[in-house]
Amino acid sequence: MNLADFGRFSDPALLILSSLADGPKHGYGMMNDIETLTGVRLGAGTLYGALTRLESAGLIKAITPTDRRRPYQLTAKGIAALREQLTLLQKLSSAGLKRLPAE
Amino acid sequence: MNVRGWLINLYPRSWRERYGDEFEILLEECLRSPFDVLDVMLGALDAHLELSQEKNWRSMNMINKLRSTILFVFAAYIAFIIAGFSLTGLMDDSQLVPLTRSNPVLSASWTAIEAGSVIGLLAIVIGGAPLAWTIIRRAFTSQRRDLRLLLVPPAALFLLAAYFFGMVYFAFNSHVLDQPSPLGRALMWGLIAVFVAGAIASTAAVWTLISHTDVEQETFQLMGKPATFKLYEFAYRPAVIASAAMIVMFVSTIIWGRLAYSLRPDLFTGNMGVMMTSTRGSFAFTLIVMAFAVSLACIGIFRARSSRMKS
Repeated sequence: MNLADFGRFSDPALLILSSLADGPKHGYGMMNDIETLTGVRLGAGTLYGALTRLESAGLIKAITPTDRRRPYQLTAKGIAALREQLTLLQKLSSAGLKRLPAE
Repeated sequence: MNVRGWLINLYPRSWRERYGDEFEILLEECLRSPFDVLDVMLGALDAHLELSQEKNWRSMNMINKLRSTILFVFAAYIAFIIAGFSLTGLMDDSQLVPLTRSNPVLSASWTAIEAGSVIGLLAIVIGGAPLAWTIIRRAFTSQRRDLRLLLVPPAALFLLAAYFFGMVYFAFNSHVLDQPSPLGRALMWGLIAVFVAGAIASTAAVWTLISHTDVEQETFQLMGKPATFKLYEFAYRPAVIASAAMIVMFVSTIIWGRLAYSLRPDLFTGNMGVMMTSTRGSFAFTLIVMAFAVSLACIGIFRARSSRMKS
């Protein structure tokens, strides 16, 4: 599954998957976690736009809510997609950093 | 209608049915500036452009509701088992047994309770077997230690129940409880408390296990041929049957209790309940737990029914 297929939601989708990597979270929890991790605050419309695509693609799934908030968690397919995407980014960042002139 | 309601109404209906409730809570917490409002409006526009996903939203909504239904009915059934033990304890060595045998209506209602318990058990076992097998298999084949740990409470309860009933069987056959000592009674009450706490802990563990296991369908080898089960859809009909059985047992228990009380009120004034507790109190406890279980099962079934009818 390539997150590039998510169009303008590919970056928010990667942020959501990364946020869920350490366990289930509901929408507001993801929003705060992503802000803490990256300094980016996703709007509710963007968050749910990406979240609906991730769920449709089977990368995340909703779990039974404990209150009115519904938590989501990564599926096995989601874990594989996130690993693939992060590995790619890791290769890209190390290649890019090597090419940069030394400070 | 407030701004949040208005914004949610901008989304397609099928999207609202699936995400509306949780989205409203999110908006309560994060709608702070005009940019947030604009972001939600763009999100609504995007959802309309993505109407091809409508079938997916409906189907995910249905799977989530079916999963909740199965969990509600399972929890209700465990509660019903506790009520069943209380009712059986009431009948043990009681004058209610010959009274029930001598009256056709009492006898018929008791038979309905017994038939309901067999049908309910079969429905739970048949409907839950593929799901239970899949979840146990996933817990052992995945790298998730938390899932394996969640299997501990139901396994421990099973062993405890086997020990408990073995001990009760021995105690009644050896008549050691005919003149129970205060220590013996305290130990028995302790065991009952552990049994009930174990049932609650196991239900919570199974609930968490099902909620956290990424599984919707599974392929089994049946007589050498692969058969794919949509686990929650497969379990739905047995869950309806188990719920119907619980309703029948509940109604039959009311009929049985009311008639037995009108014929022999003296039999309800003593202490013939579980562990020689008040007969009347024990029967009231049974009815309250049954009513709770039936309500829980009905809520589960109606949630899934409303979702199935819309899709």
